Amino acid sequence: MKTPRSTSVALETRSLGIVRPTATDEVSLQAVDWTVATGELWVVAGAQGTGKTALLETLAGLIPAAAGEVRVFGRRVDASGDDDAGLRETRRRLGLVFDGSGRLFSALSVSENILLPWCYHQNRSHAEALRELEPLIRHLQLESLLSRMPASLSRSWSRRVALARCLVLKPDLLLLDNPLAGLDAVHLRWWRGFLTEALAGHPLFGGEPLTIVAAADAVRPYVGLDPRFALVAGGHWRILSDIEAVFATTGEDGFRDSTEPRP
Amino acid sequence: MEAPPPPLKNAGPGEDCDGGLGLLGVLLGEWRGLTRLGAFMLITLATAARRHRDNSQVMRPQVLGEIHRCGVRLLPIVGFLGVILGVVFVGQTVSLMEQFGAGPFTGTLIVSVFLREMAPMTAGLLVLARVGTASVVELGTARALGEVEALEALGIDPIHYLVVPRVVGFAVAVVSLSAYLILISLVSGYAFAYARGLKASPIEFFTQIAGAMSLLDFPLWVLKTLLFGALTGWVICYQGLARPMTLEEVGPATTRTVAVCVVGCLMLDALFITVYLLL
Repeated sequence: MKTPRSTSVALETRSLGIVRPTATDEVSLQAVDWTVATGELWVVAGAQGTGKTALLETLAGLIPAAAGEVRVFGRRVDASGDDDAGLRETRRRLGLVFDGSGRLFSALSVSENILLPWCYHQNRSHAEALRELEPLIRHLQLESLLSRMPASLSRSWSRRVALARCLVLKPDLLLLDNPLAGLDAVHLRWWRGFLTEALAGHPLFGGEPLTIVAAADAVRPYVGLDPRFALVAGGHWRILSDIEAVFATTGEDGFRDSTEPRP
Repeated sequence: MEAPPPPLKNAGPGEDCDGGLGLLGVLLGEWRGLTRLGAFMLITLATAARRHRDNSQVMRPQVLGEIHRCGVRLLPIVGFLGVILGVVFVGQTVSLMEQFGAGPFTGTLIVSVFLREMAPMTAGLLVLARVGTASVVELGTARALGEVEALEALGIDPIHYLVVPRVVGFAVAVVSLSAYLILISLVSGYAFAYARGLKASPIEFFTQIAGAMSLLDFPLWVLKTLLFGALTGWVICYQGLARPMTLEEVGPATTRTVAVCVVGCLMLDALFITVYLLL
């Protein structure tokens, strides 16, 4: 049973330092001071390799923070935080969809991938879970893919399956790693529709408006969704007022390749 | 409520050793690897004990699936091997002992060499070769592709979901397959010896073998085969999961698993020989 929201702050970080899992002795991003209110959409913009994924994984508790603290719905979730039970319960209110194909479990079918978290946490059989979650699966247009294996899916559909796998636990805070990258027009339209729907609140996603943090290496696809922007560049964290400020900082063409020779 | 999964970021055996220290460094590295494997075993045991009733709708099929994969699916090949070992080892031994007039000692020889040593080791190695190597590749690939982090992100404890079913599956499989191998080998061995002129009836043959066993043989045999299987399962999961891995490292991890399992089972066997000698 979910605990009701006691605060309007969904996520809060103070002096947070981030390390990459592959280079734990090197801080890739520092001094992240950030407050995300419930129901907000935040786009964390930055070129590839600047530490956006590491930031999301740290917020999800997969990588220990190098410094500072993370609070999710008022409860501290970094390594030195709360008691185990509370920590696990709070982390369950937070869902992470990975970059690319969403890291689906390659040995399981699409339906097993989607239903596994629900079966595991609610102790349901596959058939029971399928019955209970059928409306959500239909809403995400995945019903025809259920028997397929992840390797046979395109990246766009894999990412949507990964989203479904995350949504079955009805998270309050959704962390999306580059969700709109590399999509064709149809999938892009669907994802933008989903973001609008989730931010407004939908009965299948738990009823309440979701709080969404999306890492992005291109910000144009988010135009019209009225997000708030933060920028990750050169190991530093900046909160920007609007998309114009992002363009003013990065240039109209987006982020520069750090390996490219500077003019 | 369960505790969060332990961080899976340990290095494998033989790593972290200072190259400048030479042999001492290698030994130190191996010792560190062993202590990490020991810690991994304790975490698995604690998780299995604490959560054996949790998430039964998911975990029961997982455990049964592993038992099926490691045990039931290997019945034909173990049966075939049992017939071969029965003829080559049991049948010939019985036949030769009879010819040399050492028939009364046949039971002791079969129990000491075949039942206690050869059958558990053969079953353990067969499970390692047929299922263990595939499991390391499967787990190592899942680790390299970030699927283990995906499990953790969904609040699923990888030790509980991936490791415990495998350790249980391997342990149950090696115990059952060892018993099955012994049964088939004794029957086929007797048939071969009978065809070569053995006078004893089947009842006399099996009574002689049963008479050569002590009461402690049964629990020790079960413990030994159980540990062979569990050790194999632990080493497989440790090598496949317990540290960040790239796809290129999956192959070396597989060969390392085979080496560690064989050495580990032989060391365990030596320990049990000492116990048998003391009893």
